[in-house]
Amino acid sequence: MTRMAWVVYLKELKDALRDRRTLLTVLLSSVAIGPLVLLAVSALVANIEKRAEARVVVVLGIDRAPTLLNYLQRQTFTVEPAPADWEQRLRDSKLGDPVLVVPAGFEADLARGEAPVVEVVGSSGNQRAQTATGPVLRLLRGFNQEQAALRLALRGVSVAALEAVRIEERDLADAATRAAQLGNLVPYFVLMAVLYGALNAALDTTAGERERGSLEPLLMNPAPRAALVFGKWGAVASVGMLIAILSCLSFLPGQWLLRSEALAAMFRFGVGEALAFIALLAPLAGALSALLMAIAIRCKSFKEAQANSTVVMLVISLLPMVTWFNQEGTSPWHLWVPALAQTTLMGRVLKGEALTVMDVWPSVAVCVLLALLAVGFVARTLKAAAVR
Amino acid sequence: MIEVEDLHKTFTQGRGKQQRVVKAVDGVGFTAADGRITGLLGPNGAGKTTTLRIAAALIRADAGRVHVDGIDVAVEPARALARMGVLSDARGLYPRLTARENIVYYGRLHGMAPKAADARAGQLARMLEMTPLLDRRTDGFSQGERMKTALARALVHDPPNIVLDEPTNGLDVVATRALRDTLRRLRDDEGKCIVFSTHIMQEVERLCDHVVVVAHGRTVAAGTRAELSAASGETDFEETFVKLAYGPDTGVRA
Repeated sequence: MTRMAWVVYLKELKDALRDRRTLLTVLLSSVAIGPLVLLAVSALVANIEKRAEARVVVVLGIDRAPTLLNYLQRQTFTVEPAPADWEQRLRDSKLGDPVLVVPAGFEADLARGEAPVVEVVGSSGNQRAQTATGPVLRLLRGFNQEQAALRLALRGVSVAALEAVRIEERDLADAATRAAQLGNLVPYFVLMAVLYGALNAALDTTAGERERGSLEPLLMNPAPRAALVFGKWGAVASVGMLIAILSCLSFLPGQWLLRSEALAAMFRFGVGEALAFIALLAPLAGALSALLMAIAIRCKSFKEAQANSTVVMLVISLLPMVTWFNQEGTSPWHLWVPALAQTTLMGRVLKGEALTVMDVWPSVAVCVLLALLAVGFVARTLKAAAVR
Repeated sequence: MIEVEDLHKTFTQGRGKQQRVVKAVDGVGFTAADGRITGLLGPNGAGKTTTLRIAAALIRADAGRVHVDGIDVAVEPARALARMGVLSDARGLYPRLTARENIVYYGRLHGMAPKAADARAGQLARMLEMTPLLDRRTDGFSQGERMKTALARALVHDPPNIVLDEPTNGLDVVATRALRDTLRRLRDDEGKCIVFSTHIMQEVERLCDHVVVVAHGRTVAAGTRAELSAASGETDFEETFVKLAYGPDTGVRA
């Protein structure tokens, strides 16, 4: 029985790996896309960092406000005059900084103590300018505070009276936690790699075999049905795992290419993390392969099986998003739901948390149970499927 | 030797109000002896494929038995299948594997060692005159090439009993003749028991030693061609068949 299962396993694996075109598509869509997204994010972050370092303020009519110019220069900011068509350029996202508009008579109003209105113009459709608005507003608040302090000092009031409360910002998240926010993407991509890797092989060994008319002759062999099903299942899970492993490994060189040094320092994904990911994904690969096969064995054609498996694909791809939208952090039930449990646990690995047996066993147990049920169903249905 | 005793099988089709019960096989019985080609002749839908599927342990009969060399197929399917080579109605190959790999895979599933299975594939290829095809992927094979590969696959474990379900479907004249020659050789040189189902009379006339006529799920006549013609009082074998299979009134001369 074991030897027969091995024969079936080797044949199915060979068959799946010879399907070069499908494999290539899967590799491109699930292995290459992860690092590419990582690179794109890093380029974006690097761009933001660069502009933060550049310390530039775009101002319209700075010649009307020498006091403000003096303040900005003391804060080591460079002042750039706004281009003529700045409004249009902001709307078209061609200008990456908000524009500070200084009104006429600014200096005189300021001297008289009549608060002149300065506008910080951005566009909520312009993401780059929008993120740069915060620093400009903070800069202006600093200017306000300085002016107020000067006026109070002139009237002999202590500057301390101005501050009822002193505010300091402290970020509790360490580098690893911040990295995990970006790293949320990595578990998701790796999870989808398992699914896409297993999908084609799962459908080909079941519905595909029926459609080709090779299932009936296969069952006219004296090999036990369990051996056939276990061999097929093993091969499908192996292909899924192979793609997942490639996907995990692709993030290793991906992070060396990270453009932002800060990001590279934050994003901890080394060989150890990759191995932990692979270990966490293995039970899921087994369960998903069996589930896809169980769905496909009832279908008469590959096409029908593809349509039916869309439901699984959709559910699996939506489940990890629970952790993205859930503001209350992870609940204990997350660890019992396949796919969701794996993304949660992988997220913890990225945060540098150690996983205990208690954390891992529910997901493994659920996956094993699901796999056994689905494999049993395939074995029971195989004969009826061949004849229908 | 394959002995089929009074098989019965009904299928239920559809659900709810549209449900109907179809009697696919309703009393088929025959004996196929060794060293003889037994033709299972019947019109489309007569129950030939169902009978052969029961013989190959793919479906269970409601009543009746099939013995292969004395082994009850329903009781010991694995042992019975080991003594049978079945070329079923569905003869799909694996398109990404070569013909040799397709054949060796089945040999392995029959418990053969890799080397023995490979040697047997080569031997069968020489017998079926398909050696040049052996290491090509089966993807672009013609109908005849597919049939040869499927036949080699069914014969890989050198079974004493060979069951073929409409093997000439979709084959041209040359391929059909080649198949007939092969079957004759298997009968004469190796003394195999061959069961051959078809709805084409010429096939039976040219090839079969013993004819079993099946119609409406029942065996309606059995014997040599001469015996059947004598029994129906017709000299033409086609007339004999039409009379036996459809009843005496339906024989409209072309």
